Amino acid sequence: MTHLTALAQASPSPVPAPGAGLFTSPFLLSILIWVPVIVAVGLAFMPNPRGRYDTLVKQIAFFTNLGVLGLLMIGYSQFENFLPTMQYEEKTAWLPSLGVTYHLGVDGPGIAMLVLSGLIGIVSVLASWGVRERVRSYFSLLLLAQASVTGAIVSRDMFVLVLFWGASIVPLALLIAGWGGPRRIAAAWRLVGYWGLGTAALVVGVLALYAASGGTSFDMDNLLKSSISTRVQLGIGAVMIVAAATRLPLFPLHGWVRDVLGEAPPGVVVIVAGAASRLGAFLLLRVLIGGEPAAAQLLSPVLAALAALTVGFGAVAALRTLDIRHAGAYLALIPGAITVLGLAAVSPLGIAGSVLSLFTGGVAAPLIACVCATVAERAQTRSIPVLGGLAPRMPNAAWLFVIAGLALLGVPLLASFAAEVMTFFGAFKTQPIGAFAVAAGLVLGAVALASLLGRVMFSAPNSNAPGVSDASPGETWYLGILAGALLWVGLFPGGPKIPGTEVPLFDPGLITQISAGISDMASPYALPTPGATQ
Amino acid sequence: MSYLALLPEALVVATALGVVAIGRLAWLAGSSRRYLPPAVALVLLIAFGVELWAGATLSTYFGGTLVQDRFALFVKAAALLIAAVSVASADWAAEDSLHLGIAMPLVAAFGVMVAASAADMLGLWAGLELAAASAVVLVSLRRPDLGLRLLIVGAVASSLVLVGLAFIYASTGNADLGAIRDVVLSRAPTIALAIPTLLLLAGLALRAGLAPFHVGPLPVGLGASPLGAGLVIGLVTVAAAIVGIKLVAALTPIPGVFAPYAYVLSALAMVGGGAAALAVRSPRPRMAYLAVAQLGWVVAGLATHYRSGVAASLFLLAAFGVAATCGPALLGRAEAGEPAIAGLGAVRPVRAAGLALAILSLAGAPPLAGFFGELAVGAALAQSGNFILLGLGLLGTVLCVAAAIGTLRVLYIQGPIEEARRGAAAALPAVTALSTAGAVVFSLVIAGYGLFGQPILGLADQGAEALGLR
Repeated sequence: MTHLTALAQASPSPVPAPGAGLFTSPFLLSILIWVPVIVAVGLAFMPNPRGRYDTLVKQIAFFTNLGVLGLLMIGYSQFENFLPTMQYEEKTAWLPSLGVTYHLGVDGPGIAMLVLSGLIGIVSVLASWGVRERVRSYFSLLLLAQASVTGAIVSRDMFVLVLFWGASIVPLALLIAGWGGPRRIAAAWRLVGYWGLGTAALVVGVLALYAASGGTSFDMDNLLKSSISTRVQLGIGAVMIVAAATRLPLFPLHGWVRDVLGEAPPGVVVIVAGAASRLGAFLLLRVLIGGEPAAAQLLSPVLAALAALTVGFGAVAALRTLDIRHAGAYLALIPGAITVLGLAAVSPLGIAGSVLSLFTGGVAAPLIACVCATVAERAQTRSIPVLGGLAPRMPNAAWLFVIAGLALLGVPLLASFAAEVMTFFGAFKTQPIGAFAVAAGLVLGAVALASLLGRVMFSAPNSNAPGVSDASPGETWYLGILAGALLWVGLFPGGPKIPGTEVPLFDPGLITQISAGISDMASPYALPTPGATQ
Repeated sequence: MSYLALLPEALVVATALGVVAIGRLAWLAGSSRRYLPPAVALVLLIAFGVELWAGATLSTYFGGTLVQDRFALFVKAAALLIAAVSVASADWAAEDSLHLGIAMPLVAAFGVMVAASAADMLGLWAGLELAAASAVVLVSLRRPDLGLRLLIVGAVASSLVLVGLAFIYASTGNADLGAIRDVVLSRAPTIALAIPTLLLLAGLALRAGLAPFHVGPLPVGLGASPLGAGLVIGLVTVAAAIVGIKLVAALTPIPGVFAPYAYVLSALAMVGGGAAALAVRSPRPRMAYLAVAQLGWVVAGLATHYRSGVAASLFLLAAFGVAATCGPALLGRAEAGEPAIAGLGAVRPVRAAGLALAILSLAGAPPLAGFFGELAVGAALAQSGNFILLGLGLLGTVLCVAAAIGTLRVLYIQGPIEEARRGAAAALPAVTALSTAGAVVFSLVIAGYGLFGQPILGLADQGAEALGLR
């Protein structure tokens, strides 16, 4: 417990991370956002007669993401976790009449989300390698969606946040409507409806905050530090919860998740279930927990209740459904609910756990949804009663399925273990009923997973089922990267050692990196130390 | 006193007259087809440059009848840009007359410019009627019945405006806007001033096609030629909105009495426009309803009656004017509805990109011009504490974005119909160097409006300040 608490605090000594000073750019975050946008526009107008350059288009998208990830890893390794302030900040007046600044920056939670976004970006391209139709448009939209998610993560101005938050809807809806499964149009409309509602709620919340703080600036540094009455904070907090609940999603605003994760192509599922939906919890962390402590304290039971309802609903729905992709979609609800439980704890340990679960959930949710999609694709049916005894015939997919299930449940050796332990240890102290309900929901989730694995993978083979093939190398690669990320953070948070040294490449590891800024954010919720002198 | 600031008006009028004259000369009309649109677009761009350069000097002309202030500068520059881009991006093969098709947008732009710099009620009315008359001419070329309908609707609107203006003149003893403002500010609001204000606002709402008054002019736009539709939905509406802004500022604090009614109108327009846009599938009606919804946002900003609200409305109005006027021009004939634009992204990529941006901007999708304008209005609404209207507006915007995505799906995801089945009603827009350049410029304006928006927003703010608002 003492060790866990220590993890949630900033490093006491300012030891520079390895690699610091090798690469410095005042525009690092802008590069991460705008390079994919420029490439996307270029791809959209690139001549591609009869799909002659389809492979080139895919390669351009891949190397763009690889470059972004490379830059991101340099930025990550140079991130100084002993500093509680924002890093890689960019601040330029944009629309001074409205108080809008182009203000970007990252702290510990931000860098965790950025790493997730970079990872998700490259995985989504790999998952989309099988796209054959309108390749140019597909990858152009994919890059735009990725850029908007990255932009929302690094925004330090509420106007900029709204802009990027809303900008992801159009490309994602078009990707689903254009390249999804049979019910793709309904799925796209549901995404637009729910995410549109969430964006509207976010705009109302942001403008209310803007008006309450004097109407002079949208900068988070001003908005989230202004003294606002508890009543106004509560109202703003409530609409922010609505905005977050549509994204994450949380029960009862989860209506899009079954159709979208069940119908979208795998590359889009990766983005939606990965980084894009984590933005909901990230918003709560930034605005509610970080900016409105009074409202956060008052609304924390609501958050805990929503988390419990979401986990319970996801587990029961996964148990009842007969469609494997729908089961994957419902199970993908669980990590988001764990994150929200950590926020509901309003304690330093719970908040640290929820930040780590932003990353682990952003990897585990697309993993389970995409494994289910791959199994359905390779088994040529989505019907669970038809599937059976697949493990011997698709060993790669079976392994990945098991890892995805274990990641959802948070078993040791996987990154989600540390996240869930921190979350539950934090939450049981302040929200015992909610934490118990979520834990009970997780048990139900384990039952649903065991039932699903048993029926699909380890039961007797169905002789009447269509032919089955194992996951292709491409599918194994992208799913393997997601599974590997969970193992990496779970087993070797520092990453491999730099050759010839004893220094881990990503030292001091994701868990320590994310702690930068958390202690500052969590300070209003820290309990007084027993026996401390006044 | 320099008359250089009036050079843009002079250029516009001379060009319009010249183009009509060329059209009347049979020996010149045929040979002018190729060079006339680019030449006119160039003249308009020169006028735009002159306006930005010389228009910054504050002055009055013709004994105070016209005034050149920041408000006039902002609106005149916007009108010139709208006219230039619409002439450049139009599909002239889909228009009924090249010469009148070029001349009428110029006349409409001139009408907007006159209204923007008018210092008295006569100038306002004249500018509005000029803009409206040009739309009647262009609509009548293709559909005389719709032209007649627009004329009758316009006559009703005009009579309401005129009666209102006459009452105001009778009540205040002045036609000059500044003098009216002084008189009104010195008295408490009276019913004698409130009634004409209501008539005025009703007439302007009818002229602008603001819901529920859109039932008058909107069907006209659906049957007109592409540019005719652009004038009805775009420039004429802008002219009515400009007159409304100037009168609202001059009649302070009377319009404040009607703020609740304006809020109701704007809520109807924002939500109703969005719902109607979602309900229809054909691209031109969808664009028209998106325009109605965005106009609701403009009115919401005006109804706040603060400088920040009016500045935000002006900022949005310019974005609205560009998208609503040029959008139908980019759409082209498209009489066959959705099939006409199916797969346009593959066969006409630049034009399709322009069309997509026009629709998304009218819908208020980020990060385009309409989004920035609507968020600016939203900030003004939040500052005035009107969160119910803000919520309704956002609901309308969500509906609009959903509708826009529907059209984008047709543009980019559906395959184009077979050439043999296309026919005249679904004919592809002709590709010329000018129309491609026009579409590119349009796209840059819509995409860059907010990203580089501070000078525009700053000018809009100065414009609102010039009207005397605080």
